[in-house]
Amino acid sequence: MWADNSETKILYVQTHGIADPGRSATPFFLAAAAAAMEFEVVIYFTMYGPTLLRKDVVDRIGPKGEQGQPLRYFVEQATGLGVRLLVCQPSLDLNDLSLDDLIDGVEMIGGATFNELAVSADAVISF
Amino acid sequence: MPESSAPAADQVLDCTGLACPLPVVKTAQAIKNLDQGQVLELLATDPGVEPDMRAWSSRTGNDLLGISKQADVFHVLIRRVK
Repeated sequence: MWADNSETKILYVQTHGIADPGRSATPFFLAAAAAAMEFEVVIYFTMYGPTLLRKDVVDRIGPKGEQGQPLRYFVEQATGLGVRLLVCQPSLDLNDLSLDDLIDGVEMIGGATFNELAVSADAVISF
Repeated sequence: MPESSAPAADQVLDCTGLACPLPVVKTAQAIKNLDQGQVLELLATDPGVEPDMRAWSSRTGNDLLGISKQADVFHVLIRRVK
Protein backbone atom coordinates (compact mmCIF):
# COMPACT_ATOMS: atom_id res chain seq x y z
CA MET A 1 0.00 0.00 0.00
CA TRP A 2 2.94 2.32 0.59
CA ALA A 3 4.34 3.44 -2.75
CA ASP A 4 7.82 3.14 -1.19
CA ASN A 5 9.18 6.03 -3.21
CA SER A 6 10.28 7.82 -0.04
CA GLU A 7 12.60 6.70 2.73
CA THR A 8 10.31 7.90 5.48
CA LYS A 9 6.62 7.13 5.86
CA ILE A 10 4.09 8.64 8.27
CA LEU A 11 0.57 7.37 8.89
CA TYR A 12 -1.81 9.88 10.48
CA VAL A 13 -5.09 8.68 11.97
CA GLN A 14 -8.06 11.05 12.32
CA THR A 15 -10.88 9.79 14.55
CA HIS A 16 -12.71 13.10 15.13
CA GLY A 17 -15.42 14.47 12.89
CA ILE A 18 -17.59 17.49 12.28
CA ALA A 19 -18.87 17.57 15.84
CA ASP A 20 -15.46 18.86 16.92
CA PRO A 21 -14.24 21.32 14.25
CA GLY A 22 -11.26 22.42 16.32
CA ARG A 23 -9.79 18.95 15.87
CA SER A 24 -10.41 18.82 12.13
CA ALA A 25 -7.49 20.61 10.48
CA THR A 26 -4.30 19.78 12.36
CA PRO A 27 -3.80 16.35 10.77
CA PHE A 28 -3.98 18.05 7.35
CA PHE A 29 -1.44 20.72 8.43
CA LEU A 30 1.01 18.16 9.72
CA ALA A 31 0.53 15.89 6.75
CA ALA A 32 1.21 18.78 4.36
CA ALA A 33 4.38 19.70 6.23
CA ALA A 34 5.50 16.06 6.19
CA ALA A 35 4.89 15.80 2.46
CA ALA A 36 6.88 19.00 1.96
CA MET A 37 9.73 17.22 3.76
CA GLU A 38 9.48 14.55 1.06
CA PHE A 39 7.96 11.95 3.37
CA GLU A 40 5.34 9.59 2.06
CA VAL A 41 2.15 10.42 3.94
CA VAL A 42 -1.31 8.96 4.32
CA ILE A 43 -4.18 10.00 6.58
CA TYR A 44 -6.59 7.29 7.64
CA PHE A 45 -10.07 8.51 8.65
CA THR A 46 -11.89 6.20 11.02
CA MET A 47 -14.62 6.42 13.68
CA TYR A 48 -16.09 9.93 13.04
CA GLY A 49 -13.19 11.03 10.84
CA PRO A 50 -14.84 10.30 7.46
CA THR A 51 -17.45 13.00 8.10
CA LEU A 52 -14.71 15.59 7.50
CA LEU A 53 -14.44 14.42 3.90
CA ARG A 54 -18.11 14.87 3.02
CA LYS A 55 -18.64 16.84 -0.19
CA ASP A 56 -21.29 18.90 1.60
CA VAL A 57 -19.01 19.64 4.55
CA VAL A 58 -15.60 20.63 3.16
CA ASP A 59 -16.79 24.02 1.90
CA ARG A 60 -18.97 24.72 4.92
CA ILE A 61 -16.85 24.20 8.02
CA GLY A 62 -13.25 24.60 9.04
CA PRO A 63 -11.29 24.44 12.28
CA LYS A 64 -13.09 27.56 13.51
CA GLY A 65 -16.50 26.24 12.57
CA GLU A 66 -18.20 28.36 9.96
CA GLN A 67 -15.63 31.16 10.25
CA GLY A 68 -12.22 31.29 8.59
CA GLN A 69 -10.82 28.94 6.00
CA PRO A 70 -13.00 25.93 5.13
CA LEU A 71 -11.69 22.38 5.31
CA ARG A 72 -11.29 22.15 1.53
CA TYR A 73 -8.40 24.59 1.77
CA PHE A 74 -6.50 22.35 4.21
CA VAL A 75 -7.45 19.15 2.42
CA GLU A 76 -6.20 20.43 -0.93
CA GLN A 77 -3.02 21.82 0.61
CA ALA A 78 -2.23 18.26 1.73
CA THR A 79 -3.43 16.32 -1.31
CA GLY A 80 -1.70 18.81 -3.63
CA LEU A 81 1.58 17.62 -2.12
CA GLY A 82 0.72 13.97 -2.62
CA VAL A 83 -0.90 13.11 0.72
CA ARG A 84 -3.37 10.24 0.28
CA LEU A 85 -6.68 10.01 2.13
CA LEU A 86 -7.99 6.59 3.22
CA VAL A 87 -11.23 5.36 4.75
CA CYS A 88 -12.71 1.98 5.60
CA GLN A 89 -16.24 0.70 5.09
CA PRO A 90 -17.27 0.17 8.73
CA SER A 91 -16.57 3.79 9.60
CA LEU A 92 -18.54 4.92 6.54
CA ASP A 93 -21.43 2.75 7.79
CA LEU A 94 -21.11 4.26 11.26
CA ASN A 95 -21.71 7.70 9.77
CA ASP A 96 -24.30 6.54 7.19
CA LEU A 97 -21.99 7.51 4.34
CA SER A 98 -20.90 5.94 1.07
CA LEU A 99 -17.73 6.69 -0.87
CA ASP A 100 -19.88 8.75 -3.28
CA ASP A 101 -20.71 11.16 -0.45
CA LEU A 102 -17.03 12.02 -0.04
CA ILE A 103 -14.77 14.32 -2.02
CA ASP A 104 -12.95 12.81 -5.00
CA GLY A 105 -9.75 10.90 -4.51
CA VAL A 106 -10.52 9.17 -1.21
CA GLU A 107 -9.37 5.54 -1.25
CA MET A 108 -11.04 2.60 0.45
CA ILE A 109 -8.98 0.17 2.51
CA GLY A 110 -9.73 -2.44 5.16
CA GLY A 111 -8.41 -3.31 8.58
CA ALA A 112 -5.66 -5.57 7.31
CA THR A 113 -4.31 -2.81 5.09
CA PHE A 114 -4.42 -0.35 7.96
CA ASN A 115 -2.41 -2.66 10.18
CA GLU A 116 0.08 -3.35 7.40
CA LEU A 117 0.48 0.39 6.81
CA ALA A 118 0.99 0.91 10.54
CA VAL A 119 3.70 -1.69 11.09
CA SER A 120 5.58 -0.60 7.97
CA ALA A 121 5.40 3.13 8.74
CA ASP A 122 8.17 5.03 10.49
CA ALA A 123 5.60 6.81 12.62
CA VAL A 124 1.90 6.47 13.34
CA ILE A 125 0.29 9.59 14.77
CA SER A 126 -3.27 9.38 15.99
CA PHE A 127 -5.73 12.18 16.66
CA MET B 1 26.03 34.85 8.62
CA PRO B 2 26.89 38.52 8.00
CA GLU B 3 24.70 40.19 5.40
CA SER B 4 27.68 41.14 3.27
CA SER B 5 28.62 37.51 2.58
CA ALA B 6 25.09 36.35 1.90
CA PRO B 7 24.61 35.33 -1.74
CA ALA B 8 22.02 37.11 -3.84
CA ALA B 9 18.78 35.22 -4.22
CA ASP B 10 17.71 33.96 -7.63
CA GLN B 11 14.09 34.04 -6.49
CA VAL B 12 12.23 35.59 -3.56
CA LEU B 13 9.25 33.81 -2.03
CA ASP B 14 7.09 36.13 0.08
CA CYS B 15 5.26 34.17 2.79
CA THR B 16 4.85 37.09 5.18
CA GLY B 17 1.55 36.86 7.01
CA LEU B 18 1.17 33.16 6.25
CA ALA B 19 0.98 30.66 9.09
CA CYS B 20 2.47 27.21 9.53
CA PRO B 21 2.68 25.02 7.48
CA LEU B 22 2.44 27.34 4.45
CA PRO B 23 6.03 28.68 4.49
CA VAL B 24 7.35 25.10 4.44
CA VAL B 25 4.83 23.95 1.86
CA LYS B 26 5.44 26.89 -0.48
CA THR B 27 9.21 26.61 -0.07
CA ALA B 28 9.06 22.93 -1.02
CA GLN B 29 7.11 23.85 -4.14
CA ALA B 30 9.21 26.88 -5.06
CA ILE B 31 12.59 25.17 -4.75
CA LYS B 32 11.55 22.67 -7.41
CA ASN B 33 11.32 25.54 -9.91
CA LEU B 34 14.95 26.52 -9.34
CA ASP B 35 17.99 24.94 -10.95
CA GLN B 36 20.46 23.12 -8.77
CA GLY B 37 22.81 25.64 -7.19
CA GLN B 38 20.32 28.51 -7.33
CA VAL B 39 19.26 30.31 -4.16
CA LEU B 40 15.75 30.93 -2.86
CA GLU B 41 15.06 33.67 -0.34
CA LEU B 42 12.03 32.98 1.82
CA LEU B 43 10.42 35.91 3.64
CA ALA B 44 8.22 34.80 6.52
CA THR B 45 6.69 36.11 9.72
CA ASP B 46 5.55 32.76 11.16
CA PRO B 47 7.44 32.49 14.47
CA GLY B 48 8.20 28.80 13.91
CA VAL B 49 9.93 29.33 10.61
CA GLU B 50 13.51 29.11 11.89
CA PRO B 51 13.34 25.60 13.42
CA ASP B 52 11.01 24.51 10.63
CA MET B 53 13.32 25.52 7.82
CA ARG B 54 16.28 23.93 9.61
CA ALA B 55 14.34 20.66 9.84
CA TRP B 56 13.07 20.91 6.28
CA SER B 57 16.51 21.69 4.82
CA SER B 58 18.27 18.94 6.68
CA ARG B 59 15.60 16.43 5.72
CA THR B 60 15.39 17.33 2.05
CA GLY B 61 19.15 17.74 1.59
CA ASN B 62 18.98 21.38 0.54
CA ASP B 63 21.50 23.86 1.88
CA LEU B 64 20.33 26.38 4.46
CA LEU B 65 22.71 29.28 3.91
CA GLY B 66 21.43 31.54 6.65
CA ILE B 67 18.51 32.97 8.54
CA SER B 68 18.32 36.60 9.58
CA LYS B 69 15.52 38.61 11.11
CA GLN B 70 14.85 42.17 10.00
CA ALA B 71 12.04 43.83 11.94
CA ASP B 72 9.40 41.09 12.15
CA VAL B 73 10.43 39.31 8.97
CA PHE B 74 12.67 36.26 8.78
CA HIS B 75 14.86 36.08 5.68
CA VAL B 76 15.83 32.49 4.95
CA LEU B 77 18.35 31.70 2.22
CA ILE B 78 18.30 28.19 0.80
CA ARG B 79 20.42 26.78 -2.01
CA ARG B 80 18.86 24.01 -4.05
CA VAL B 81 21.19 21.02 -3.86
CA LYS B 82 19.27 18.16 -5.43
